[in-house]
Amino acid sequence: LFATVLCWSSLRKSLSNTNRSKGGKQSRSGGGRKGADDQEEEEQPLQAVLIADSFNRRFFPITKDQPRALLPLGNVAMIDYTLEFLTSTGVQETFVFCCWMSHKIKEHLLKSKWCRPTSPNTVHIITSDLYRSLGDVLRDVDAKNLVRYDFVLVYGDVVSNIDVTQALQEHKHRRKVEKNISVMTMVFKESSPGHKSRCEEDDIIVAMDTKSQRVLHYQKTQGLKKLQFPMNIFHNGSEDFEIRHDLLDCHISICSPQVAELFTDNFDYQTRNDFVRGMLVNEEILGNQIHMHVTKDGYGARVSNLLMYDSVSSDLIRRWVYPLTPEANFTDREGPPCTHSRHNVYRGPGVSLGHGSQMVENVLIGCGTSIGADCHISNSVIGSNCNIGDNVTLDCAYVWNHVTISKNVTISQSVVCDRVEIREGVRLNKQCVLAYNVLIGPNVSLPDGTVVSMHHPDEEEEEDDDEFLSDGDADASQSKEKNKQKGFNPAEVGVEGKGFVWKTSSLDDTEDEELSQCLWGLVLNPDPESDSEASEPDDPDDPVIPSPEMDDVKVFELEVLGTLQRGLEENIGCDNLVVEVNSLKYAYNITLREVMQMLTRVVLEFPFQQQQGVQLSAAQYATVLLPLIERWAPLFKNYVKKAQDHLDCLSAFEEHFLEQEKHWPAMIKVLMSMYQLEILEEELIMRWFSQGATTDKGRQLRKNQGLQKFIKWLEEAEDESSEDE
Amino acid sequence: MPGADKNTDLSERIEAFLADLKRGGTGAGPLRGSAETARETTALLRRITAQARWSSAGDLMEIIRKEGRRMTAAQPSETTVGNMVRRVLKIIREEYARSRGSSEETDQQESLHKLLTSGGLSEENFRQHFPTLKANVIEAINELLTELEGTTYNIAMQALEHIHSNEVIMTIGRSRTVEDFLKDAARKRKFHVIVAECAPFCQGHKMATSLSQAEIETTVIPDAAIFAVMSRVNKVIIGTQTVLANGGLRAVNGTHTLALAAKHHSTPLIVCAPMFKLSPQVPYFPFSPSHSYEQRSVTHSLWWVRREILSKVNVYCPVFDYVPPELITLFISNIGGNAPSYIYRLMSELYHPEDHEL
Repeated sequence: LFATVLCWSSLRKSLSNTNRSKGGKQSRSGGGRKGADDQEEEEQPLQAVLIADSFNRRFFPITKDQPRALLPLGNVAMIDYTLEFLTSTGVQETFVFCCWMSHKIKEHLLKSKWCRPTSPNTVHIITSDLYRSLGDVLRDVDAKNLVRYDFVLVYGDVVSNIDVTQALQEHKHRRKVEKNISVMTMVFKESSPGHKSRCEEDDIIVAMDTKSQRVLHYQKTQGLKKLQFPMNIFHNGSEDFEIRHDLLDCHISICSPQVAELFTDNFDYQTRNDFVRGMLVNEEILGNQIHMHVTKDGYGARVSNLLMYDSVSSDLIRRWVYPLTPEANFTDREGPPCTHSRHNVYRGPGVSLGHGSQMVENVLIGCGTSIGADCHISNSVIGSNCNIGDNVTLDCAYVWNHVTISKNVTISQSVVCDRVEIREGVRLNKQCVLAYNVLIGPNVSLPDGTVVSMHHPDEEEEEDDDEFLSDGDADASQSKEKNKQKGFNPAEVGVEGKGFVWKTSSLDDTEDEELSQCLWGLVLNPDPESDSEASEPDDPDDPVIPSPEMDDVKVFELEVLGTLQRGLEENIGCDNLVVEVNSLKYAYNITLREVMQMLTRVVLEFPFQQQQGVQLSAAQYATVLLPLIERWAPLFKNYVKKAQDHLDCLSAFEEHFLEQEKHWPAMIKVLMSMYQLEILEEELIMRWFSQGATTDKGRQLRKNQGLQKFIKWLEEAEDESSEDE
Repeated sequence: MPGADKNTDLSERIEAFLADLKRGGTGAGPLRGSAETARETTALLRRITAQARWSSAGDLMEIIRKEGRRMTAAQPSETTVGNMVRRVLKIIREEYARSRGSSEETDQQESLHKLLTSGGLSEENFRQHFPTLKANVIEAINELLTELEGTTYNIAMQALEHIHSNEVIMTIGRSRTVEDFLKDAARKRKFHVIVAECAPFCQGHKMATSLSQAEIETTVIPDAAIFAVMSRVNKVIIGTQTVLANGGLRAVNGTHTLALAAKHHSTPLIVCAPMFKLSPQVPYFPFSPSHSYEQRSVTHSLWWVRREILSKVNVYCPVFDYVPPELITLFISNIGGNAPSYIYRLMSELYHPEDHEL
């Protein structure tokens, strides 16, 4: 493995941590690592695994130049929100795993406040080009033995202010009560279906046990109208259970160290989804459970596509994620923080606004940006050091840093990346994306959903395979050469324009359409190609529905019948038959009692099976059956041991003859032979007889002359034997 | 390297405190209540005084001012932090003056003539080195801490002078000072308390539970019923987040309504405010929103609105009201009762005018 581990003065910190009595936050989760063995119960430092890679390409082509975790959200890199969330919940040690463009993430983190020696949260950066999924990362965690205690698992694009302390306590409590059964606690937030912060492709439906908060079933709805639930959730013994569709998956999970081991054991698990489903399906075998924690307060969402980017950004500006607001400056950036004024307008230092320009509402403007006259800006985020000309209209626009926008430009619901230049009179319709360094204009109108990048779409396909291995810089230099060769289309990007149009949804090409909408996440069935690496497309019909109990018993009956027939034909000894029936019993998970009843029934019905279709008279039936009973007597004796077994056998016997009224004459012979072969004891036959019947027919059966006589004979025999003594 | 270790330890503590302030805000985080914030701040400033490197009072003031600026910037709505920084600066000034031998009174005199001539007096004059200064300052800060410990008790002590038997008293939201004040009075007298619930956070519910546990007859009313109920009320006793320099309040939202209703019915309005809440800030209009409102996780009903609608809705949730001084009858602080018009005088006793702007 090509992994490098950077430990941030962790040794020194851990020593000083133990020597000091800590105030405030640290006291919540304890800081001692010395003597961890004795105090393991109370003082476990909280660890976190942060995955700074999405392992999919939803943000392509933006993520070709910058990893997703570093994309600015409200002018702060996404990973900073995640780290702030972890730190504020009391995490003391975070492992950041990076793969795609790991050097950029590393550079960013080294400069940030998280790597200062004073940070309460020690950040270790672990990079490798070989991670291709969440599963790989966790297998590496296990291989390197990084986590020793319960840890928080998040992606590098989660924005949240949820206090998971309570969920953590619940998790620890569960693990204390039932040793190591619960392996994971997933954090959900209540929010209505169709809520803005609910990503439609991540929409989930969860069945849970109300009392224990155990997850019984977890499924992505993926816009399906019909959902199937496995039967076993309905009869696994829980009194109350809920099926909930009002939950938003925050992608925050509290895991026990076992999770990493389980990923190692099951090398086919790629994502958390695989893991959860695997755990739930194999619950009986592995004995692991997954629990959940539902919170009403707080905010938690994962920026999984551009639509989510849009809604999380606007929630951030509308202060839903308090205290993570734009003016809070939680990343400790140099210089004065931005100011907050009425209608959620935030202005960084050094912002200049021209005459007649309006910032209507929910606007965030980064430092050093200048805006010309008569602009109209609403619901937008503008990065730092941008230059915006006169008479520009921005609505729901996300303009990143160092962007130049000339006069008379209109942008609605679009993303404009770093160092883009937009010339005069350009119009960006909804859901356009201009990736890094693109130049557009003048006087063009980009249709809905246009994606423009400096990288050529074809080059992208060529590099498909080594995408994760190739270095970002190499990509850039290659693409520059290619750009020179290929040239730009002035009809699409304007006369002076630079950049290739990637996909336009107005094109008829269905494949293209999928990809561009994928970026915005409007399609409910995500492009399988772009997602295949991250998540196995789950087939909704796939869930293993264990066949109901009745079926098992039926199959067992048939199998026993087959076994006996074979035994008869091949003259197999009773001992071997016992072994075979026993193995069938385990294969179909049949109780001993049912085996008894089945066996009796099968043997009694055996003559009918042999002479298919032909009506047997009672006498014929008896002649066929009696030798069989004699033959298989050891088989019966093996199972019929206790008093209850005898009664079960007799009740099966009764059941059979109730159905076959014609054969009542034979009944007495069968019973007699069973008595003589010492399969059934007289005492228990008497008891069965005296217990009485529940149905009319049963009573009739007991009044049968033959039976009456037999019983009388039995009674007399008993008397005689007692007299003998 | 014990020195280096000390330094990192100190800066780590400061960072942790700043982070707590940022996350906590007012009452939500690990720091609960402004009394605790005040104590924490003072304890941290004492530690800075003890551990930071400085040779003269001027250095120390510069260090404290710098850290103070960061602390106030971390949570602008929590004025207590800034107030404590100013108190400590004032202490350093006094101790320096005492060490130099000049009496505090002469320094305190503020005539127009002195203001005009005193132009360059401040910083250069603090350059002199006194070996005993550090110990003196720390001792004075310890005194300040002792004073802070006793504030709530000192205010509660005065309860019996203000609350009489069978009175009906109204309050709003939850204030620990008022809670203790009422409970203290309840030991001797029987009276009835009406609590306005203070939506949307409804801190009033907690207050009412706590009061009724102390066997005080308590009624909770919605904020909208304040005016209707006011005619039956004998006295309004409230807490506040900050007392502004002009004698006005920045208090939990709904207080302005309450004060106006009290004025209309000529009901006396008493404000329980410890001295550390006295801030040299003056109200300015429009009240800066980051001071007057914060968005917390607001009512869940709005969170349930569907996508298309919510994107068109702006939810504002002001946390603080400005209450002008004319509506207030009396302040009860840990050093006794004062009229709003007297606040400016207290202010000049507590803080040095040069420290008003950190």
